[in-house]
Formats: sequence, structure tokens, C-alpha cells
Amino acid sequence: MTIEAPDLSLAALAPLLFVFGAACIGVLVEAFGPRDSRHPVQVAVALVGTLGGLVTTVLLAGTREVTAGGALAVDGAGLFLQATIAGLGALSLLLFAERNLDPARSAFVVSAAVPAGSVRDRELLTVQRVQTEVYPLATFAIGGMMLFVTANDLLVMFVALEVLSLPLYLISGLARRRRLLSQEAAVKYFLLGSFASAFFLYGVALVYGATGTVRLAGVREAVAGAEGGTLVVLGLALLVVGLLFKASVAPFHTWTPDVYQGAPTPVTAFMAACTKVAAFGAILRLLYVAFGTEEWTWRPLVYGVAIVSMVIGAVLGLTQTDLKRMLAYSSVAHAGFLLTGVLGLPATGDAAGSGLPAVMFYLLAYGLTTLGAFAVLTLVRSGEGEATHLSQWAGLAQRSPLTAAVMSLFLLALAGIPLTSGFTGKFAVFRAAIEDGAWPLALVALLASAVAAFFYLRVIVLMYFSEPAVDGPTVGVPGLPTTIVLAVTAAATLLLGIVPGAVLGLADRAAIFVG
Amino acid sequence: MTDVAIGTGEAVVFWILGPVALAGALGMVFSRNAVHSALWLVTTMLSLGVFYVVQSAPFLGAVQIIVYTGAIMILFLFVLMLVGRDSSDSVVETLRGQRVAATVLGVGFAGLVGAGIARATRDTGIEGLGDAGGTGNIETIAGVLFTRYLLAFEVTSALLITAAVGAMVLAHIEREPGSRQTQKELSRARFLTDRPQTLPGPGVFARANSVATGALLPDGRTAEDSLATGIEPREVEQMPRPTGRAQLGSPDAALGTTDEPR
Repeated sequence: MTIEAPDLSLAALAPLLFVFGAACIGVLVEAFGPRDSRHPVQVAVALVGTLGGLVTTVLLAGTREVTAGGALAVDGAGLFLQATIAGLGALSLLLFAERNLDPARSAFVVSAAVPAGSVRDRELLTVQRVQTEVYPLATFAIGGMMLFVTANDLLVMFVALEVLSLPLYLISGLARRRRLLSQEAAVKYFLLGSFASAFFLYGVALVYGATGTVRLAGVREAVAGAEGGTLVVLGLALLVVGLLFKASVAPFHTWTPDVYQGAPTPVTAFMAACTKVAAFGAILRLLYVAFGTEEWTWRPLVYGVAIVSMVIGAVLGLTQTDLKRMLAYSSVAHAGFLLTGVLGLPATGDAAGSGLPAVMFYLLAYGLTTLGAFAVLTLVRSGEGEATHLSQWAGLAQRSPLTAAVMSLFLLALAGIPLTSGFTGKFAVFRAAIEDGAWPLALVALLASAVAAFFYLRVIVLMYFSEPAVDGPTVGVPGLPTTIVLAVTAAATLLLGIVPGAVLGLADRAAIFVG
Repeated sequence: MTDVAIGTGEAVVFWILGPVALAGALGMVFSRNAVHSALWLVTTMLSLGVFYVVQSAPFLGAVQIIVYTGAIMILFLFVLMLVGRDSSDSVVETLRGQRVAATVLGVGFAGLVGAGIARATRDTGIEGLGDAGGTGNIETIAGVLFTRYLLAFEVTSALLITAAVGAMVLAHIEREPGSRQTQKELSRARFLTDRPQTLPGPGVFARANSVATGALLPDGRTAEDSLATGIEPREVEQMPRPTGRAQLGSPDAALGTTDEPR
């Protein structure tokens, strides 16, 4: 028996190779690098990897190719999302590398294995060393996400889901301060995440049982040929549950507030921005490429889930007193807004509908804004670490006008006020939903936006129109990495709001799935 | 594909091992003891392995038995033994009504999926594996693994690296260079104290051997340094000390006892 080698287009694989290569080199640095120089080297390796991934995706623009034996679909939408993930990932890595804010020099623990609260732990609290494994782990997660959005095969999609999840479970538990909270978050995320992965895997098995293939294109053909029936519907439902969990869509969102709050803030920023892009990329590809002809099976499901997610995110966000939890519920609400765009996908074979580019643009805009918002959270600190309670933010504008202004910008963008990227994104997804006849959904989305705007504006009012507390938090002076992140995200939030044309056009041209 | 009839042997194997596999799965869920759970799971996996072999997938069956029951379950048991066999889950409900809700939803979900699958597969005919089974089994798997599923296979390595790095991060404590004392230093330090010999173990000469029971010295007092720190010492009833004529006999009686003057 002879085996023919599968076609492997190294060019199409280049972004993934860059990122995974950087992660492997990072592991080697961890093993052999001298301890003193590990931190700068790890940061450099991780940044070279992710930026290399970003540059190669940009160079690949226009490619439409299925490679690696049909397991990888490198197409416009995939490359756009890959570039988004690589860019947001590089920015998150910069946040990871910040060493100027905490007096103890980093948001990450010195040694994760030392029991929290032990004598040794207290000794290590002021040591400047860091568990530098976070950089290769985060790079692996970025690689997994980039694979996730281009997977053309349910099996590769599952492996990518695990590759992106496993490092996230780990790095959520590595906070330097409030370690028990952080470890609890990691355990919760791990248990619920593996449960969701099991759902996804069961769905893959059922779809394979019904159609005899795991290739998305094969599934599409089999489904269009009306094979399977019940089994396909069950499989599709389970697959979607697994993906909606990762995208933190209500009612699969219960992990989100706890994990967002417990994880180190740079990791929270990374999860909020990149995981969302990856999960929605996979949802789009799955629903559109594999089940595009089965539209009337998933449409009511997505419709209902979008409403639940927007309402739960907006209403529960109102009751939060912790900023990280508030942003977590905001991410649940935004997941609902994104789903309204997903509904705008065209049912026909060609990608002429406005849903896909709208969701892609929204993901980019939301990722940048939320990353910036979490970056601002790392600046405001009290003696015990970050001051995330709402009351501590009272009168912040008097203490640091610039921080308050930047935070206000991000909050306005999250609320979807015109002249910010949030408005453009929301406009695009709502228009897609309305064009597709889902105007009741757009109406609910508008109401939910109004409710959500209330809790964003409440923070702004608190910052500008309250007297500062006497023993309030201090605003740290960020080092170069966080400054870069804040500058890039704030500029992007403004630019995508004022002159979104170029990026919207890019998303429009890129909105093509092959497979 | 041709229609294949199920042979008698296959049917017999299925009807014997099917209930066994199911019982193993249920036992795994319902056992209170974690080790019993693991052993029930071994039963299920062995049964599944036999099923695979019977369905002409010998390679998969062997892998199932070697990898799952052989390696993974042994790791499970290792971990259980390290964590402590006695550690068990708290049975207190932290959220009211959670258990009832979980049971109802779980059974409902299982019923839904089970009914769906039963409905969908009711009229499915039996098909053999054809060329893929039998002797071609391993070659077919190798062929698929290195062509169609090459990417998945390669990317799994990222998963394994992550798992290894993660285990190191969570479990390995780096010692400061020079913070670990050598045997020589430890023994010197010990001989500088008042008690170079080992401490007496708990329960020596006492009537109980629990760690909470102090050792007894020859004169009947409790040896304080045999008690572990952080443990409430337990008063154990002492052996009755020899008193009176019945125990001691006459020569001792002549000497008298210390307990009570006659």
C-alpha cells in the first residue's frame, strides 16, 4: 500500500507556523535560557511570533486555498480573523509584559506551585521574578485560535479548540495577587470548559455518524442531500453549544464573570478580545460552510440565544459593583449583538450578504475596545492590587484626567455612541439583521443597547461628577508596553468610529469562505 | 458495501458485555469511593475494547486496552492514591435544590439525546467495514493519519506540549540555589540540639496507636514530644496498674503497694 503525501502549502500555513514555532522556541528558552534574561527573551520571542503571524496573514491577503489534505481553509474571512487574532494577541502580550505598575513588577505569580498564603508565598510576593511560561502558553493559545478560525474539518476544529483552551485554563490561575480567587477561576473555567468540549465532541460524533464525514464541505453536501435528519440536528445543536460556551453567550455564560474577575487582568483582556474572535470565527464557518443549507434548523436557535444573551448581559450588568464583572457581563451582551449579525448570513452559496463582514468588523472593533478597557483597569490600583470596585473609581477624573478620558472613550465605544468604533460595529450588525428580516431582533438589540449604555455611562458619571474618596486608589504611570496598547486601542476606537470606510471595505472584500 | 449478518458469536459477546459495560458506567458514576469509580471505568473500557475487536477493528481494540485501561487508568489511580484514597466529596448542597435540578435536567437531556439517536438510527442497516477492516486495519489508519488527518495529528503535539508545561508550572517548585541543606549539614544541626536521636513515635506502649495518642515512658508518663504538633492529644485509658492481692500474689503483697496504704 502506498500513501500519497498530502498537499501542504507552506505559504498558507505560514501564519500558523510562525506562531506555533515561537511557542515551541519559548518552551526551549524556558528549559535552557538563563533565569535572569528569560523575561525579555520570552517577550521578544512571543512578539516576533505573533507579529510574524500578523505580517504573513497580511501578505497572504487574497489567497483562497484549501490545503493540508483539505483540513485547512485559508480564505478571506479566515485570514481577516487570523490577522485580528494575531494583532490583538500581540497587544495582549504587551500587557502581559508590563512591569512598571505593580510594585511587585508583574501581574503574574513568581511560582504557581507554591501554595497560596504560605510563608514561602509571602516571601516571594516582592520578588521580581515571574513565571515566564505564560508567554509560550499564551502563544500556543493564539496559535490554537488562528487554527480554529481556519479549520475546515470538525476534527481539526476540536483539536484547535483544545489547543486554545488548555493554555487559557492555565494562565487564568497565575495571578500574583488574590491568588486563591485566581485559582478558583482557573478550576471553574477548566471544569466547565471541558464539559463544553465534551458537548462539541459528541456533536462531531453525531454529525459524523449522520453524514460519514467531518469535512465541512462534505457535511454540507450530505446535509443538502437530506441525509441524516434528526442526527444532524442533534449534532448541530451540540456543536453550537460547545462553541457558544467559548463565545460566552448566555445561557452558557455562567463561567464568564467569575473567570474574568479572578484571572490576571492582562489574561482577562486576552480572553475577552481574542477568544471571542476565535469562537465567533468558528461559529460563522460552521454555520455558514457546513450548515448553510440547513439554515432553518439553526436560525431559531441563534435567534433565541441572541435575545437571551443580550437581555441577560444588559440586565445583570446593571447590578454589578465590580468593574471586571461589569465588563464580563458587557461581553455577554456583546456576544448577543454579534449573534444578530450572524443571523444576517446569506443562505445562498455566494457570500453576498452583509452579515459576515459586519460580524468580522464588529469582532475587530470590540476586541480593540475591550482590550483597551481592561488595560485601563490595570492602571488604577490600591494597596491590594487593582482597584476594581466601582466606588473606588469615584472622582477619578480629578486624580488623573487622562486615564478617565481614555476609559470614557472605551466605555462610550462599548455603549455604541456615534463617532466610536462601537457605533459603526453595532450599526453594521443591526443593518445585516434588518436586511435579513430579523427586525424584531434588531429592536430587542436596540433596547438592550440602551440598557447597557446605562451602566457604562454610570461609570463615566462616577468618574467625572463624584468627589474622590480620601483613601482612594492611585493611578499608576504605565510603562512602554501598556502605553503602546492604550495608544493603539484608543486610536483604533476613534478611527474605526470616524473613518471606518477602509476597514469596512476590507471586511467586505474579505468576507469569503472556501471549503 | 454489502449487507452483513451479525454472527452468533458477535451477538453473544454483545449481550454479555453490553450490560457489563453499562453497569461499569453506572457504577463509575454512583460509587462513593473514587478508587471503586476508577475500577468500574476500567470494566467499561475493557468491554469497549472487546467490542472493537469483535467489530473487526483489532488495532483500535488493542489501543483501547493498552492506552486507556493500561496507561490512563493507572495514572488515574496514581493520582487518586497521591491525593488520598479517603478524600471524598462533600455531600452538603451549597445551592439549594441544585441536586434535584441537576438530576432532572441530566435525565431529561439524556432522554432527549437518546430518543433522538434511537429514532435516527432505528432503520439503519448493518454494514461491514469492507476493506478497511480485517488485515487492512492498521494500514488504513496509518494512511488516514498521515494524509487526511495530518494537520490534526501534528497540532495535537501542541496540546501535549501545553499539558507538559502546564503540569510543570502547577507542580514544580523551583528551589533557590543553595537553599537546600545537604545531609551533612542536616545531621550536624541535629547533633547540636538536645535530642540527636529520633523522636518517639506516637502510641508506643500505649493502648492505642493513633497519632493523637502519646507514647508512654517506662514510668507510665506520657512522652510529650511524641505528639505531633497541631493535633489534639487524646486521653487513652491506661492499663490498670497492678494493685491488690489478686494480681500481685503474696510476695509482692508483703512489700506493699504504692497506691493505697492498708
